[in-house]
Amino acid sequence: MRLRALNDAARRLGLHREQADADARAIAPALLAAPAEPARELKALRALAAWCGCWSPTVALDLSPGGFEGLFLDIAGVDHLFGGEDAMLSVMRRRLKAAGIPCRIALAPTPGAAWAMARWSGKETSRLDSARLRDGIASLPLAALRLDEANLRLARLFGLRRIGDLYALPRSGLARRFRDGDGLGLVRRLDQALGLAEEPLTPVRPAADYRAVKLFAEPVLDMAGIEARLPALAAKLAAQLERDGRGAARLRLTGFRSIGTTATLEVRIGTPHRQTKIWLRLLREKGLDRLDPGFGFDALALSADRTAPVAAVQPALEPDSARPAGALSVAELADRLAARLGEAAVTMPVPVPSWVPERSERRVPAQDVIAAAGLRPVPSSRPRPLLMLDPPEPVEVMAELPDSPPARFRWRRVLRHVARAEGPERLEPEWWQIQRRPVPEREEFVESGMDEFPLKNQGFQGAASENQGRIKGSDRTRDYYLVEDENGARYWLFREGLYDRREEKELVPSWWMHGLFP
Amino acid sequence: MEAVSVRVPLHSPYPQHPDTLEEACAENFRAMAATLCFALSRLPADGRPAVICMTAAQTHEYGRIFGRGTIWARHFPLLLVEPRKAIEALWAAEQALRSGAVAGVAIAVDDLTLTQTRRLEFAARHGGASAMTVLTRPGGLTAARRRWRIRPAPSAPNPFDARAPGSLRIAAELVRSRTEPPALFMLEQDDETHRLRLADRLAGHGLVEAGRTVAAA
Repeated sequence: MRLRALNDAARRLGLHREQADADARAIAPALLAAPAEPARELKALRALAAWCGCWSPTVALDLSPGGFEGLFLDIAGVDHLFGGEDAMLSVMRRRLKAAGIPCRIALAPTPGAAWAMARWSGKETSRLDSARLRDGIASLPLAALRLDEANLRLARLFGLRRIGDLYALPRSGLARRFRDGDGLGLVRRLDQALGLAEEPLTPVRPAADYRAVKLFAEPVLDMAGIEARLPALAAKLAAQLERDGRGAARLRLTGFRSIGTTATLEVRIGTPHRQTKIWLRLLREKGLDRLDPGFGFDALALSADRTAPVAAVQPALEPDSARPAGALSVAELADRLAARLGEAAVTMPVPVPSWVPERSERRVPAQDVIAAAGLRPVPSSRPRPLLMLDPPEPVEVMAELPDSPPARFRWRRVLRHVARAEGPERLEPEWWQIQRRPVPEREEFVESGMDEFPLKNQGFQGAASENQGRIKGSDRTRDYYLVEDENGARYWLFREGLYDRREEKELVPSWWMHGLFP
Repeated sequence: MEAVSVRVPLHSPYPQHPDTLEEACAENFRAMAATLCFALSRLPADGRPAVICMTAAQTHEYGRIFGRGTIWARHFPLLLVEPRKAIEALWAAEQALRSGAVAGVAIAVDDLTLTQTRRLEFAARHGGASAMTVLTRPGGLTAARRRWRIRPAPSAPNPFDARAPGSLRIAAELVRSRTEPPALFMLEQDDETHRLRLADRLAGHGLVEAGRTVAAA
């Protein structure tokens, strides 16, 4: 067991990382140690990366081993929001310190140099500009180049201690000797540090193209304060979108708490637009209360994660008389309902080319279909029920063989007599769908479990109540019947499986209730 | 409970145009599909879409709306709102009515208080839409202008096959209304247009079977 992380007091006693636990206790018997939890540490690092999103939209995790993990923030183009690079560094240090996170920050033109300065320069905050990059890192040890153990040992054998020692050596020689399995040999790392080679960063969250951030001098504690600042934020974002002629299709509101965590709220907009009043309304419908400020929000960011081109529409000269003033469009209504109830609750049926009824249509979130200018249902030649049961419910039926409509049936424990019936409408299974083999079970007719069913023994076939579990994904032929009982109620039943065409080892045909007609 | 048969004047007019809020009560479980069909057909058709609100519990009990079974509906698109709770269904109905973007809302709930019906009525008036509430039990006090009780009726004779059901028929009893006397109407679905219309009215010169339309000579 080795030590993985220490606090200042332990370091002052002379303990170090990777020291054996037994040795450490020999030096400091009163050592308090807890088991390391790498998963939780990673989670905390991710949360911190999300929080640092208030300074830069591109934050990448740096998972260097040996206790050197940290974060990369790309602040190209955002430092002017904070009043310059120096001001930004001091703000970051102050905020991190207020959040209780000890850190060392370095600002450099390349990620490699920044990594090196942050960990090896010995200063809490350091800055390097491009003119002094080479000299700035020359005095750092070779480990600051993120080399692996083998290369470090080899370099030590050669007497190379500092990065500056490498400048004078010929590159081809270095490349030949200090190779790496991944190809990130010494020369590559050096080039990355000096800006001669690219080092792409993988941000934790892809940066939104359009983003408006507002930092507060003092943490905002209540929802009223946040609501008061939202319109200005939305206006800033809308101005950015208007410059490019785009509308927001997905909005995300992020609140950065002063203790180092974040809270987000997302809203989806079916037809992208730039109307800030509607954005704010949708965010309020979603529930601004879900953003719990905790000890206060230091910053708020509103970003448009997904956008689409939107043409500006000239308002009509005359108001449309059919619609009252201030009317929404259907798309806006769908957005508002979906924001509060969830996208799965606001749907439209869309036909699917399949004749199996439960597969012949699917529910699509209303926002999508309206944006895609809708699909008109095609009148089918066959009657279809208004209400469909999903899954179909088992029914006990008296019917003449082989394929007459039912004479009477029992559904949901009520016996119903059939006055008129139409059918069968035969739907074969779609042979191009995956076929399931018929379950090899006993072939004889299974007695129904309900003894009070009166006409069981009079030559009609009753349905086997044991088949109830088989309905899903069935691949047997179905015969649909539209039956009407003596009161006028109309049902849509089907028999799954055919009596005159039963294959070997197939189950007895069973009856199911699939829908109700008005 | 049986519908009460009322002696009515021979041609008591069927109120074609829906009021801002009307209530349709299904007589029993079997009548739910008929009541939904009736409610949907009563919503005004002015080109705007319609909304059907049912809670998730009701979709488990009665089934989900099947899009292919609503081709006769005059509204497109048909928005289906299926929230988990009844209170969310009422909120969605109110939002849809008030928005002015829909022609009408059919909301299926178990029961409604007077205040809730009043809110629906205000919202419907504000948005120029109509609301039909579909209940399974007779409601108490309500702000609905008309109250209907619906049950399915034996269908018309099928001209092609005597054993098969013909055009669907619904018995709609106007139980209470502010403007009309109570009456019982037999509604039938037309073969071609698939819309609900009166079945008891004799068409044209009276020589045809009651309920069938004939092109005027």
